[in-house]
Amino acid sequence: MNPIIQSLYRDGAPAPEAIDNFVEQNRFPLIEPGRITFVYRGQAKEVHLRSWIAGLSTAQPLEPLEGSDLWALTVDLPDKSRFEYKFEVVTNGERQLVLDDLNGVLAHDPFGANSVCQGYGYRRPGWTRHDPESRSGNLATLKIASRAFQETRELEIYLPAQFRRNRSYPLLVVHDGPDYLRYADLKNVLDNLIHRLEIPAMIVAMTHSPDRLVEYTGDERHARFLSEDLLPAVSAKFPLLDDSKARGLVGASLGGVAALHTAGRNPQLFGQLLLQSGSFVFSDLGHHKQEPLFDPVAKFVNEYRNNPYALAEKIYMSCGIYESLIYENRSLLPVLQDQGMQILFEEVRDAHNWENWRDRLRQGLTWLFPGPLWMVYE
Amino acid sequence: MAIQILLGPQSPTANLKNAIELLSADGPVVSITAGWRDSEAETDELQNAIGRPIEDLNLYHQAEEIFAREPELHALQRERQDQLLELQRLYRVRLTSGMIAARKLLRDKGGSDLLRLEQRAAISQVRALDRHHVQRISATHQSFDKRRAMLDIPSATSLQQSLEQKLRQSGLVLIAGGHVAVLINRIRLFRLGDVLAQKPIIAWSAGAMVLGERIVLFHDDAPQGKRDAEVLDAGLGIVRNVIPLPHAKSRLDWSSRNRMAMFSRRFAPAKCCTLDSGSMIHLENNRITSAIQSSVILRTGRKKPVTAR
Repeated sequence: MNPIIQSLYRDGAPAPEAIDNFVEQNRFPLIEPGRITFVYRGQAKEVHLRSWIAGLSTAQPLEPLEGSDLWALTVDLPDKSRFEYKFEVVTNGERQLVLDDLNGVLAHDPFGANSVCQGYGYRRPGWTRHDPESRSGNLATLKIASRAFQETRELEIYLPAQFRRNRSYPLLVVHDGPDYLRYADLKNVLDNLIHRLEIPAMIVAMTHSPDRLVEYTGDERHARFLSEDLLPAVSAKFPLLDDSKARGLVGASLGGVAALHTAGRNPQLFGQLLLQSGSFVFSDLGHHKQEPLFDPVAKFVNEYRNNPYALAEKIYMSCGIYESLIYENRSLLPVLQDQGMQILFEEVRDAHNWENWRDRLRQGLTWLFPGPLWMVYE
Repeated sequence: MAIQILLGPQSPTANLKNAIELLSADGPVVSITAGWRDSEAETDELQNAIGRPIEDLNLYHQAEEIFAREPELHALQRERQDQLLELQRLYRVRLTSGMIAARKLLRDKGGSDLLRLEQRAAISQVRALDRHHVQRISATHQSFDKRRAMLDIPSATSLQQSLEQKLRQSGLVLIAGGHVAVLINRIRLFRLGDVLAQKPIIAWSAGAMVLGERIVLFHDDAPQGKRDAEVLDAGLGIVRNVIPLPHAKSRLDWSSRNRMAMFSRRFAPAKCCTLDSGSMIHLENNRITSAIQSSVILRTGRKKPVTAR
């Protein structure tokens, strides 16, 4: 049992005031080296931890603590781990997924919010937060008449602080750009890394798909959109370096598939790929085990695995070890490495979520686009 | 009397104006902002900060224009840069193993005479390598100078004379920070070192680095991990026995006593002096006459405030 809970129960079942103090004076979940204790307070028939961690049961029961309305569950958790969760509370036959009221740390994604479990030793990196000393870049919108999609698409464009028309810049194209901005603090990250000279000043085009479950799953139109619509349009509007090494694609989850697929259809057009928790579903034999929407993904990944080739110069890949996609990512790694490309693969104690992808951006971006900090002393 | 003032980064604390008031130099103010590269011409902020007109020598763009006009000179310059890059790569290969061995020995807590001798020998090897590297680089510069002297480029000669003239007529020279390799490259290309040595100078960050005898690159908190400090090049040698360390607070790992001790012992007898924002070191005839918010790294790895000597 967690020592704080042990202390609460030192003299038997605690009085309601003692429970109030316990709840007020502690941060939840209760963190210790190597393990973590989740606590729920309330009347219920059952309470479960729902965490969607690959390798663990998706629902683990919390035990009621005697003589109180507290429930607790202690799980082993390697230090510096991070994952998201909710409580499933059963009352009067009804099951309800709720946030952990005792934990104010939330992570947001397009589907809502989750409570965040930060294991012992985890610290949110300082470079993900707004730094008043970092000069702020600007966001603008750009409308592109897409021949590939036969409609107008709108992009958000990040222009670095002190943007000058007489300079040329690298271009980064980010899939699910608005989500990266909103949930992975991409603007703070860019402002900070550029200000600290860890990456060069760059232009970032943030794409957004109205139908990512189709367009990001190996859709030829999307590959054409980026190479034949977006790139010429952004080049015409902004001063870009004309060098594949200065062009990169970023994507997470299905966005990672879209980035890899686009690079595969246009080898060496985008020299740098940043692929986070890519949904690289494949099958060695027979049909893959995922939902039908992954059929075109598996078709593309299987094709690539059968006839691999160098599609970029450098690829940074990351994946959380608490997500099932670690298997697909680990499987793709040697195939990519054998093609003579420079690959940096990072496995982290995290899951399939935006904060995992946020926390990896410095490592990925600075490896793909090293800044001049070694030589510059301003 | 040769006077220099070395400053740290001008943001967030700008102390350039204080330094100018301290010098109270008469005559035009000339600046060298080649380290800013493409932004070289953007000196408005600088002029506003000091409240006096400035003439910038425009070394970065002048060089670019000459290279565009004189392909032979450009090719020669390119050849030198390629050689310097390759020399740096080769030096780094040898430096890495030398530093690993030295650090490992410094970490050893034995304390015997045998160990101390080996620690000293390991550091000596790194020092010898640094010296060798500077010699190789100097030989590359000499070869460049010899071959360049054989090129008859009247426009380059006349530009160089005009730059020297502006410097001679100036009452004060400001050398800004920025890209340190570009900065030393441009000053060296126009051979302005000798004239600069005779002028009162205020230099900050990379500007201070190029005034020393050696330019030392360092960053213990780089995103891809710590790197060993490297000697990039010989400096102009106008300031002797000082290795200026801009942004030392954030760039050096002060928690590692061994690492800092190694830094100090490697470059002794030169004093490794921190130059953070707000720092100021005042030198007259290569003697530190006063210092503000600057520390010297001791051979123990600790630091103490820089004092007049």
